[in-house]
Amino acid sequence: MNRTVKKMLVVLDCCVGCHACEIACRQEHDLTHETGSKWCRVMTVKPRRVRDELHLDYFPTLCVHCDDPLCLKSCPVEAITKREDGLVLVNGQKCNGCRLCISACPYGAMSFNEVTKAAGKCDFCLGRVEYGIEPSCVQHCLGGALRYVSPEELNEVTKGKHTAFFEKVCYASSQWKLVL
Amino acid sequence: MSDMVCKKCGTSWIVPKKLKSILSKARSSQPERYNELLSLCPKCRPQAFGERTIGKDLKKVPRSWRIPRRRVEERKPVKVDPRSGATVYQSQCYICNSGCDALVFEKDGKVIKVEGDPSSPITKGTLCCKGLASKEQLYHKDRILYPMKRIGQRGEGRWQRISWDEALDTAAGRFKEIEKKFGPDSIVLATGTKRGTWVDYVMRFANAWRKQWTSTGWAQCAIPRLSAGGMVLGGPAAECPDFSKTTCILVWGANPPNNWPHQAVHLMDAWSRGVPMIVVDPELRETSSKADIWLQLRPGTDAALGLGFINVIISEGLYDKEFVEKWCIGFDELKARAGEYDLDRVEKITWVPKAKIREAARLYATSKPACMMHSVGIEQNADTISSCLTTVMLPALTGNLDIPGGNLYPMFQGMRGRDDLDYTLKHTITPEREKNILGSTQYPLLSSNECVLYPTAHNSTLWKTMLDGKPYPMKGIYIHGTHLAVNVANTQQVTAALRGLEFIVVVDILMNPTAELADILLPAATWLERDEVACHIQASYNAIQIGQAVVRQGECRSNYAIMNDLAKRLGVENMFPPESDEPFFDFMLGKTGLTWKILKEKGGHTFPDVFKKYEKNGFNTPSKKVELANSKMKRLGVDPLPIHREPSESPISTPELAKDYPLIITTGGRLSMYRHSEGRNIEILRELMPHPLMSIHPATAQGLGILDGDEVVVETPRGSMEAWANLTEGIHPGVVQLPSHWSGMNNVNLVMDNERCAPLIGSTQLRCQLCRVKRKK
Repeated sequence: MNRTVKKMLVVLDCCVGCHACEIACRQEHDLTHETGSKWCRVMTVKPRRVRDELHLDYFPTLCVHCDDPLCLKSCPVEAITKREDGLVLVNGQKCNGCRLCISACPYGAMSFNEVTKAAGKCDFCLGRVEYGIEPSCVQHCLGGALRYVSPEELNEVTKGKHTAFFEKVCYASSQWKLVL
Repeated sequence: MSDMVCKKCGTSWIVPKKLKSILSKARSSQPERYNELLSLCPKCRPQAFGERTIGKDLKKVPRSWRIPRRRVEERKPVKVDPRSGATVYQSQCYICNSGCDALVFEKDGKVIKVEGDPSSPITKGTLCCKGLASKEQLYHKDRILYPMKRIGQRGEGRWQRISWDEALDTAAGRFKEIEKKFGPDSIVLATGTKRGTWVDYVMRFANAWRKQWTSTGWAQCAIPRLSAGGMVLGGPAAECPDFSKTTCILVWGANPPNNWPHQAVHLMDAWSRGVPMIVVDPELRETSSKADIWLQLRPGTDAALGLGFINVIISEGLYDKEFVEKWCIGFDELKARAGEYDLDRVEKITWVPKAKIREAARLYATSKPACMMHSVGIEQNADTISSCLTTVMLPALTGNLDIPGGNLYPMFQGMRGRDDLDYTLKHTITPEREKNILGSTQYPLLSSNECVLYPTAHNSTLWKTMLDGKPYPMKGIYIHGTHLAVNVANTQQVTAALRGLEFIVVVDILMNPTAELADILLPAATWLERDEVACHIQASYNAIQIGQAVVRQGECRSNYAIMNDLAKRLGVENMFPPESDEPFFDFMLGKTGLTWKILKEKGGHTFPDVFKKYEKNGFNTPSKKVELANSKMKRLGVDPLPIHREPSESPISTPELAKDYPLIITTGGRLSMYRHSEGRNIEILRELMPHPLMSIHPATAQGLGILDGDEVVVETPRGSMEAWANLTEGIHPGVVQLPSHWSGMNNVNLVMDNERCAPLIGSTQLRCQLCRVKRKK
C-alpha cells in the first residue's frame, strides 16, 4: 500500500521547451493564475557556443524528492514528510504558511499558493498514479523528455549516458555531463 | 568475400565481412530488407541498422533512447472518471488547427479539466499548453456571450444586449439594403485559420450567397504549399510526413513543437530513436536546436537553397532513377534549371556554407525512406510558389512518395473535404463572378477558379478597394473568426478600411479590437461548446475525428447554426437548416457509410493505411505523373520551374535602402503558448511570455547600445513598432526576428509592407523586409 516504485526520468536531450508540462501541472492541481503557484517549470538555456558549436537547451525542473530534504528540516509544524518509498509530500492542512521551506529548498521547487495560503510542490501526481495513470506532465510532454519508468527500465535506458541520480528522479543527457 | 552487382546502378562491389555480420543480425527479423540491402552497393544503399554509408564528416548522432518513449495505454474511453466523478467526453481540441484528440471532464455542468486522449494514435496522449488551457478561454471574463448591437460611435465599446432574432434580422436587413444600393459585390466575407470544418463552410456560405470571401492567411499560409503540391504531385503529400518509420527528417521553415504539436510528438519520437534531422531555419529555435545539420539561411532565399539541394541530388546522381524514369515528367527541364544554381552561387545567395548544403542534400537523398516537412516559413517571401515547388519536388526526386516513412497522400475515402465541389459549390462561380473577385487577374492561383481549392479575394487589394471604391464600392463585411485589426500586414490601412465601412458583423469568441469595430456582434462557441466532424491533413492523413459540445456559456451558437440562420433570413439557398448541425455532418460523411450518430458512439474513425496509391490510377495531375515542370503554370503562360527571386527589399536588391535600414526583419516565429492572435488574454499562458521578444545577435545589439531585455523601437519605411530585445547568438548578426500577432504598438504588422506581393499567389513578404532598430528612449 501507498508505495510507488516508478521513478521520474528527465531526458534533457528531448525537451523542446513547449511548456505543456507546466500548464498540464497547473490544470491537474488547480494552480490558477491567482494562486501564483507553479510546481513544474521549463527553463531555457539560451544559445551559447561550446567547442565552436551553438547549443540551445531546455531544462524541465520539478521537485527531485531529495534524499535528505531541507524543506522537511525547515518546517516548524511537521507538515512535510518523507514517505518510505522516497516521496516527499506536503500536507496543506498542517501548513501554517510560514514559507520557511520555500527559502530552504535549493531547487526552487517549493511554491506558495496565494489562494490556499499554503506551500505546495510536485507530488508526482499521486492522485493519478494511484489510479494507474501517468503523471500529467509525463502524459502531455511533447518531446518525450519526461518519462515515468520502473527502476529496471531506468537503468537500462540510461546505460552509457550522463546522469544525475536522485532517489526518485534521474536527469539524463547524451550531450552534457551533469554535475550535482 | 563475394562479388555483387548493384541492383540500382549496375557497378560491381565486394561485400565486406563486417557488413555481412551486421546485416545477418537483422536477417531473421526482416529477411526482405536483408536481401535488398545486400544487393545494393554502398552508394545506393539506404542507411540501415546503424551503418552509415556517406557523410563520415557528419556530426555523430550519439543519442538513442531505447525504450518506447511513451506507452499509449489501451485505455478504453471511460464515460465517468473514477477519481473526480466527472463525465468524460472524447473530443477534438480546436484551440489551433492541429485537431488533437482530447478528453474533456465535465462535472455539474462545468468543464473541470481538459486532457490529451491517451488512446489516440495521433497525439499519443499529449496536448500542448494552449489546448490544456482551453478551460481558461471558455470561462474568460472577456467572452462574448450574447448577441449585441453597437450603441455608441464605432470603436467606442458601448454595447446593448439584443436577442438572436433581432441581431440576425438586423444583419440580414442591412446586408440586403447595401446589396440593393451598391451592387452584389459590395459585401465580403472574411475568416481566419481553419478550426475544423466550419471555416470552409464560410466559403460555402459565400458561394451560396454569391459573394466573395477572403481568408486572412491563405496567400501567406497553406495555399502556396497546397498549390505547388497539387501542380507537381497531384495532392498534398508534402504536408503529410510519416515520421514513424523514417530514417531521415528534413524540416523546412517549420517549428512543430510550437505550431503543430502532435507532429512534434512523432518527430521527437523518431529523433530520439537516433534518426538524423536536417532543419532549415534562420534562427536557432526549438526544432533547429535538435538538428544534426542546421542550415541557417538568409530569410527569403528558400527557393535558391531548394534549387541547390536539387542540384546536388541530380548532379551527383542521388535521385531515385527508377521512380523518376517511370513516374516523373519534366526532369530534363528541371535538371537544366537546377544546373544554373551551382553551390557557389547558392552559398552567395543564401549565406549557407556550400559544404553544409552538400552534406544535407546527400544525407536526405541517400537515406531511404526519408520524409520532408515544410511549413509557413517558406510561404512569405518574394516568390512563394517557387520556394514551395522546390520543397515538394524533393520527395518526388528521391522516390519518397507514398511509401512508409516518406511523404504520404491523405486517404479519407469518401469523406467530403474542401476539394469536393458539392461541398464548396465552386462550380457555381460563373466567369462573370470570377472576374469580379479581387485579384483574379493578377493572382490567378489564389483568386480565380485556377486556385487549388476555391478562389479567395486578395487581402491587400481588398483593403484598397474598401478605401478608394475601385473597381466597385465595398461597403459591408461579415467577419467570422478572424482578428483583422492585428492579423494582416499594414494594420493602419486595414483598420482605416474597416472603419470606413457602412456595416460590419463580427462573430467571435472573445472581445478584441476587431470586434470593437462591429455594428452587430454575435457570440460563437468555443470548441468545448460545439459539435464538429473533421478530417484534414493538419490532424491526420487517414482519420475522421469528432468534436463534442460539452457545455454552453451564455447564448453562444455553433458556427454552422449562425451562418445557416443568417442564410435563411437572407433567402440564400443550398445551406442547411439552422436548428441542428447533424444533417450537415451526415452530408459531409455521405460517401463513407458513416453517420454522425455512429461516429459519436465510436469517437472517430481511422481508415486503414494504403501505400503507393499512385500505382493504381497514377498521380492526380493532367499527365497522371509527377510534373516536375508542371502543366498548369505552362497553361497560365508562366515559367513552370522554380527560380530564385530576390526579396523586394534586401541588401542585394535595394542597397540604397539598406544603408538606412541595415537589418533584415523576419517576422512570424511562432510561440508555443499562443496561436496567432489568440491566447494573450489567458493569464497562465501570458505568464510564460508577457511581451514580444525581438531576437537580435549580441554583436549587433552591442553596436546599437541595446542590452538584453531593453525596450526597442523597430522602424521601417512604413512606420515603427515596439518590442523587447532578446539577445541570442542563434540568429545572424544581420537579421532580427520579431514575433507576430501582438496588438497595439507591439504589432509587427504596423511596419510590414503589403504592396509588393509574390507573383501568381499574392503572398505578402513578411519574412524578408528591411528595418532599423534602436533603443527606446
